[in-house]
Amino acid sequence: MSVSRALATALIVGLGLVLAQGAAAAPAEDRLLPVDQHTSDKARGLARTHRQALRDLNTGIYHCLPWVELARHSIGFFKPKHLSGDDRYLSLRIYIEQDPSTDFARLRVEDRASAMFSRYVGPLLRRMTKDPAVAADPDLDGFTVILEWMKQVPRAAGDRPIHETIAVFVEKPVAREYLTGTIPITEVAAKANVLGFDGETALGPLRLAVWEDTFVSTYKVANYVLEPGVTCG
Amino acid sequence: MRSDRLRLLLVGSVLVAVAGCATGEEWATWKSHPTHFASGEHMFFSVRNKEGAAPRVTRKDIALARDEGWWGKPITVSQEQILER
Repeated sequence: MSVSRALATALIVGLGLVLAQGAAAAPAEDRLLPVDQHTSDKARGLARTHRQALRDLNTGIYHCLPWVELARHSIGFFKPKHLSGDDRYLSLRIYIEQDPSTDFARLRVEDRASAMFSRYVGPLLRRMTKDPAVAADPDLDGFTVILEWMKQVPRAAGDRPIHETIAVFVEKPVAREYLTGTIPITEVAAKANVLGFDGETALGPLRLAVWEDTFVSTYKVANYVLEPGVTCG
Repeated sequence: MRSDRLRLLLVGSVLVAVAGCATGEEWATWKSHPTHFASGEHMFFSVRNKEGAAPRVTRKDIALARDEGWWGKPITVSQEQILER
């Protein structure tokens, strides 16, 4: 092998490794529901029009809220199952990672749900509407935020962890009032439809007592370093 | 001579490629404490680090640590129970 050929090979290998690292530092594109997997023209139109906004949403959560995990195919313009017609809500689903806490586990399910709603729904609504064109789209009817956390760790080998989940459905006019500062998050909770789930079991609608919570805007993972070029506002 | 230069080039390329990774010590620190915890009523989340250590935690480190601390397939509601595509 000539020296020049060896040099070229080495550079290609090195460049490939650098690019591979860059790719690993980026969020997985599969968090977005592909355009063609939306089942109505209205939904596909929304997904096509706002594709870049959804990519930015995925990227922002990936880098700026690193302690949560977006579920695969969870970002998209879904139809809430309990609604009739083809109402389309911009939706996402996150798993909130935290160590098991007996104190937290002892709370009533409504209190755990209230804590998670307080902490995440407001900040996520803001992220979901960072591109004003999304909320301004007349085809968009509302927003769905699905929050999931571990309720119980496996107690014995072979057991599976149990997750608790709330699905929060917010109509667009309510979200807009909140985002413009007309109503507080407590009123969003009062007007939203919140469904609870214990593992796979539906708990039905939950009434929550929420509060303003600054955790998402103030919490920093210790020693966390953002990737070059990434900013979190 | 030629093989030495080739070896040097390959080593250099690999060093450039791995320059952004955490050191072995940083990895050990991070991976031993991969998750956050909720401390009772205040639900304060934190990552615990070894005293005196200042690991540099990247988003990629978190993703890998999360895989390490995986609890297994959870029992949870499916997306299809809540939403239609």
